[in-house]
Amino acid sequence: MKNHVMKKPLKINLLLSLLFTYTLPAIAENHEHEHHHQNKQDSVIFAPSSDSVFNITDQWVSADVKPFQLSHLSGKPTVVAMVYTSCQYVCPLTVQNIKRIERALPANQVDKVNFAIFSFDSERDTPAKLAEFAKKHSITSSSWVLAQGHASAVRKLAVTLGIKYKKVKSGDYEHDATISILDSHGIIKYQSDAMNKNIDGATGALKTLLH
Amino acid sequence: MKSNQLTFISILVLSNCLFLAASVSAEDMVRVDDMVLVPKGGFTPFFLKKDDTNNSSVLATSPATSVDAFWLDATPVTYRKFLAFVNKHPEWHQSNIKKIFTDSHYLEHWKNAQGSADSADLDKPVVNVSWFAAVAYCEAQDKRLPSTDEWEYTLTDNDRDTDNLQKQIMAWYSVPNKALPVVGSKPANGFGILDMAGLIWEWTEDFNSYMAPPDSRNSGDKTLFCGSGSLNASNLGDYAAFMRYSYRESLRGNFTGKNLGFRCAKDTK
Repeated sequence: MKNHVMKKPLKINLLLSLLFTYTLPAIAENHEHEHHHQNKQDSVIFAPSSDSVFNITDQWVSADVKPFQLSHLSGKPTVVAMVYTSCQYVCPLTVQNIKRIERALPANQVDKVNFAIFSFDSERDTPAKLAEFAKKHSITSSSWVLAQGHASAVRKLAVTLGIKYKKVKSGDYEHDATISILDSHGIIKYQSDAMNKNIDGATGALKTLLH
Repeated sequence: MKSNQLTFISILVLSNCLFLAASVSAEDMVRVDDMVLVPKGGFTPFFLKKDDTNNSSVLATSPATSVDAFWLDATPVTYRKFLAFVNKHPEWHQSNIKKIFTDSHYLEHWKNAQGSADSADLDKPVVNVSWFAAVAYCEAQDKRLPSTDEWEYTLTDNDRDTDNLQKQIMAWYSVPNKALPVVGSKPANGFGILDMAGLIWEWTEDFNSYMAPPDSRNSGDKTLFCGSGSLNASNLGDYAAFMRYSYRESLRGNFTGKNLGFRCAKDTK
């Protein structure tokens, strides 16, 4: 039975890959197309052509209803993730993993790192919702910021961080769960799958930046 | 007095009807300042969305995704227009653009560092622009990039002459690139939109959306094109659509391509 099911996709894949290989010069000529693979494993990003995410000047609003910009994160390394508060599984786990990263830092360095959570859900995640979410996850430290912004600001940040997402009709979001670490100048230094239980890579990257 | 009021109301109603008629009939299309009103409608996207997949029939005959009316540039943005934008917003000049917003090929075909193009090229579509630059251009015109759904819906042209469209697209995809012609060299589609196929690839606002149906990813199969993804295509004959979705999937916001340009859209309100 399984073999029978497998036959068809193989055939289709073969056709498709033939089409790709031989009939698509426009795709082949896209610059840097070989670099697009998002490494799902932990990976240190060497991005010499990349500059700071602080060049993005969109206005956000924080959970305490204050205007917020990415550049407010300058001066300290920052752990960044994107979530939405009505997300049932992936987002709480993302926050829990970031909190594990926070706990793994030496006591005298905890306040030398920012933790920034941006919402995908520009419609439903009001500052009050974000505050509620913070409370639910026992986030009280002033090193943390939760922010919401317009859909265009969300899209721009996600594109910058290489995060794919799509709003589905229910109002929920299908999205990558990625933890990014910025240095104090806003340059992306490290990214990992937020579902990865192993946080050694993230804490290692942070410790290097704090050194 | 009363009859005056009635007359006024009937004029209002009449003008409303006229407007509605115009917005649903491509023959009487509404065009203002190089933008065309694309009427509300629907299309079946290449991959059905999660909410649409309530049973196993993937070849939906009714429109699976509806798209609200929106304004769309009749043609892709030209060098001439992009040049005017860069002159007004020097931070998007080739020598000033921030590295996080582009790869090293931004506007590389422009004749010199001043960002001026050969005058013969001015009406060609601007290419070698990153998503960030395209977004900045549209925002500067008080516009936005079209969503992928809007773009695909416009391409399908309300299912007018679908077979011919497929043939045209495949014919274009299968020939090597030539020097780009100026925009608007070919007839408009049924919406009054030009150059949707046969000229360049175009950025969409949400190019970084998932193309694979969420169900297949949740089931642990993460092979986006190679397994369940390709089987769940709503129209397996539509290789051209598959290529477009795959191409978008491969892009990052800072990429540029010498066949990759854009056009802008706008809400109707």
